[in-house]
Amino acid sequence: MTEATQDFSDEQLAKARAGEAAALALLIRAHQRSVYSLALRMLGARDLAEDLTQDVFMQLNGNLKSIASNTHLVFWLRKVTTHRAIDQLRQRARMETTPLDDETPHLSTVDGGDPLLQRHLWRLLVNLSPPARAVLLLRYQEDLDPSDIARTLDMPVNTVKSHLKRSLETLRQEMPSPEPSRCEGNST
Amino acid sequence: MSEELESRLRAAFRPVAPSDEFTQNLIARVAADQRSPSNARGVRERSPKASAWWLSASMAASLLVAAGIQQHVQERRERERGLEARREVIEALRVTSQKLNLAYEVIKSQSSSPADDAPGV
Repeated sequence: MTEATQDFSDEQLAKARAGEAAALALLIRAHQRSVYSLALRMLGARDLAEDLTQDVFMQLNGNLKSIASNTHLVFWLRKVTTHRAIDQLRQRARMETTPLDDETPHLSTVDGGDPLLQRHLWRLLVNLSPPARAVLLLRYQEDLDPSDIARTLDMPVNTVKSHLKRSLETLRQEMPSPEPSRCEGNST
Repeated sequence: MSEELESRLRAAFRPVAPSDEFTQNLIARVAADQRSPSNARGVRERSPKASAWWLSASMAASLLVAAGIQQHVQERRERERGLEARREVIEALRVTSQKLNLAYEVIKSQSSSPADDAPGV
């Protein structure tokens, strides 16, 4: 997952399971970035991502006794977050068709990336189906390999691979080249 | 090209942190949920909608059970009434049979007695 999640040990998990408030707070701090980022990039809105993050941790709190290790915890969090986000997106698709491209800060700009490029990437991301979006995020945000993604999303490995292949092909075709002059030329 | 695209995706998809205020609220809510009696018992609180559903379902189940019991009692009563009627018919037949036997004995004794009573004729 991330560096922060690796700081959380099985010993601290045992303390959180035993009801120790400090360990529980540490658990949330260690894992919230990953859960929140998955939720944000799946759902595309901060308020929805915050609601989902809260629901996931509340559900975790009720199931903490069944979590055997930190590895299991990370798997459980990814699985529950992605499945709930996919369910929400499917429900929303049945009820309305409001596009979710109103904001773009869902993508990281910490590497000094071009904001226009980030915006374009976000527009491509929202056009993917919910499972394909989840596959892409688990691959490039969580750095999982296809077999781990398949286990997390309960789908065959070949389906994961074909989602990845198709998504990357789409992105490759539609992504603008990263030359700065091109982006500057497009702005305003 | 592929590696470049993948590295751009990894850079774009780096995890982002929620606001500190959200984190504080989340920790407080989860801690409060852990302290709540329903969580201590391992029981999730039901929403009002779910409670209403459970109430309706239990009332429907109670009505079904009551109707079943009522039908069972009625069937049992009818069966008992049938058995009683059967016993009465058997008793009536037994009495009739006894009376017929008695009548047969009387007729039989009467038909044999004139020959015995007139030896001097």
